Amino acid sequence: MLELRINGFGGQGSVTLAHLLAQAALENGEHGQALPFFGVERRGAPVRAAVRMSPTTIHAHSQCELPDYVVVMSEKLTKAAVSEGINEIGTVIINAPHAVAVEKHSTWQVDADAIAHEAGLFSADGPLINIPLFGAVCRVLNIPQNIMEQTILNKWPGSGERNLGAAGKAYHTVAQVNVKRAFSA
Amino acid sequence: MKAAQVIMDTGTHAAALAVKSARVDVVPGYPITPQTSIMEAIADMVENGELNARFIPVEGEHSVLAAAVAASAAGARVFTATSANGLLYMHEVLHMASGGRLPVVMCNVNRGVFAPWTLWADHQDSFAQRDTGWIQYHCSSNQEVFNTILQAFRVAEQINIPVMVNFDGFAISHCLMPLTLPPQEDIDRFLPPHKPEWRLDPANPSSFSNVTMAAEYATFRQMLSDDIMASIPLVKQAAQEYKDITGMWDGDTIDTYRLEDAEVVAFAVNSMAAELRLSIDILREQGIKAGLLRPRLYLPFPADDIISALPQNAQVMVLDRNYNYGHPGGILASELKNVLFGRRNDITVKNRVMGIGGIDLTRRFMAAEIRAMMDE
Repeated sequence: MLELRINGFGGQGSVTLAHLLAQAALENGEHGQALPFFGVERRGAPVRAAVRMSPTTIHAHSQCELPDYVVVMSEKLTKAAVSEGINEIGTVIINAPHAVAVEKHSTWQVDADAIAHEAGLFSADGPLINIPLFGAVCRVLNIPQNIMEQTILNKWPGSGERNLGAAGKAYHTVAQVNVKRAFSA
Repeated sequence: MKAAQVIMDTGTHAAALAVKSARVDVVPGYPITPQTSIMEAIADMVENGELNARFIPVEGEHSVLAAAVAASAAGARVFTATSANGLLYMHEVLHMASGGRLPVVMCNVNRGVFAPWTLWADHQDSFAQRDTGWIQYHCSSNQEVFNTILQAFRVAEQINIPVMVNFDGFAISHCLMPLTLPPQEDIDRFLPPHKPEWRLDPANPSSFSNVTMAAEYATFRQMLSDDIMASIPLVKQAAQEYKDITGMWDGDTIDTYRLEDAEVVAFAVNSMAAELRLSIDILREQGIKAGLLRPRLYLPFPADDIISALPQNAQVMVLDRNYNYGHPGGILASELKNVLFGRRNDITVKNRVMGIGGIDLTRRFMAAEIRAMMDE
């Protein structure tokens, strides 16, 4: 069973990202689960969501305390997100405009803000970063690009080129960061 | 024959889809977190014509159940849902539904009770309704919520007793998981239309629930007590026939995991019991012969099935997500000791309260708790 935790701020679309990933698992022939943690709901408050993927029925119903992957929706959250707990060989995926490395952990970086801006994906809260992050996480998890695209089309039938373009760009530009550089906050 | 369809859905939406599949006639509703999305989904289904039912928005939960009772007495198949303080506010009318022998089905999405306020799951709300004469299921997965609502209507209408289908707020209600939807014709075969023996009918006026003298009152109460016990074979039959038709099985009165040779048995309900399967695997890897016994029925408490399922000399670790105020520990432990007394003196019962107000219960935490309880 693969376990992943998303750490973000309220309004960034973490819950939708969790739903997309769980749906991609089903599309990929596996079992998927998205279990958001709803705190006191307000914009800007820290939010987290658990995502699980497994070839067999998922019985877990807790948050992921030691996930295999941590997705950081905003660079500012990196230290807090990792210190919440991660598998010792776990991987971190960070939305940041430049390469950020987390000590002792394999780290991937994608500039989801820039990709959303470029694709014209905005809401009242800012750029819709969850679409490019979905593409980036699919790439890191080795979920085929056609599965990723089908998942978006199933969720928003006819949603078209901007979503697919942004997710596809992130799929191809998410980069493994040099892990030698120690993380400094 | 049509094949089952697999979708991704939340626990609350799974409940709404079961209500639609059950072809419910009347749904009175009032919102309360974390139940609200059940009512929202049903209101949408009624609005867009997917469900041919009457949705009745009212001003509070006491009126919700009053409307449910009246619609059920008029012969309708009735569903509603609530949580925590909404359920407590219904308390008086819960007795009216069971005493009136009205087969209402209600979901209670478990949430800790006020005060202080909490939004997250524990089991104080449903267990506090133990003595209201309702049958109570407790479910541990989204799929089980869907399956159990259909089984609940069948049992309720066979024996004219209302049924409460409980599941955890957030851990199930807001958890997106695969959900298998059997073809509608299979569900129709499992759950035929509701045909009550008696109903309120303006064309043929009759009175209902008048003042009774002691002898009549006592007779009604005795019948309710007897029939609640008599629901156990109906619960088993419903689970078996649902399995025969859909291929799906969540257990009947109880559900077990790696229990046959277990020396240490975890005993719990709802989503923590699903997670406990993983704790049992952890303990087995550590060389401990652990197993799980999950009562799917809390009321009637399935005494005979628990007694026959427990391995000889087992240590039973009851993990209660509630308090039994006035006693140390929780309510499930008290219920279990009650049925074991004099019948299974080989069994040791140990108890801890955990997960109150939604404190996360992980597989590692519960495995560690069980290990610690072994040394007590």
